[in-house]
Amino acid sequence: MRIFVDVLVVISIFFAFAGVVGILRMPDAFCRMQSSTNISTLGVVGVILGGILYAIFILQDAAMAIKLLIIGIFYIVTTPIAGHAIARGAYRHGVRPEKEMKVDKYGEDLVEK
Amino acid sequence: MDREDLEVNHQELLFFAICFTVMALLLFVRLFKGPSVADRAVVIDSIDILTDMALILFALYSGRSVFLDIALITALLGFVGSTLVARYLEGGL
Repeated sequence: MRIFVDVLVVISIFFAFAGVVGILRMPDAFCRMQSSTNISTLGVVGVILGGILYAIFILQDAAMAIKLLIIGIFYIVTTPIAGHAIARGAYRHGVRPEKEMKVDKYGEDLVEK
Repeated sequence: MDREDLEVNHQELLFFAICFTVMALLLFVRLFKGPSVADRAVVIDSIDILTDMALILFALYSGRSVFLDIALITALLGFVGSTLVARYLEGGL
């Protein structure tokens, strides 16, 4: 059983490392946001699943498993909300992608208002 | 239940937690270099999540559920903080 836990956590570390490299290397702010999502979805899910398996089968502690489940559900629900809010706030603050956009419907909507 | 009560030894969970901490420290480069406020907000959010994962792994390693409570509170504060920064950038605060 500890092999399953280790494999899940290693997968999670791989995706989190990919996200970190993306944040450090991507050219502009929106690309970096897209790469940070990698950390907060796949990086979280592996650790949470592995932790639930570890808490049930090795520690045999149901309270820890339920707390881990609550943390996982909270992350899955709130990460898209925070990402969307930051992207919209960055656009309205004046951050633009590095290349010039060909289609910019949200900017046209803002101008019409 | 403390760690000493268990007969199994799981040093690798500590190693994984150190991996997450090192990745969180790597992100400080972007935090100091980031050209706009949005970059810094995203990086703060990511550092929060990575330290949270390290806390969860350390809670599993030590067998104490206090660290899980701390991890839950860190997750809540990270969500509230990043949403607040986003609202401020939008100009509607």
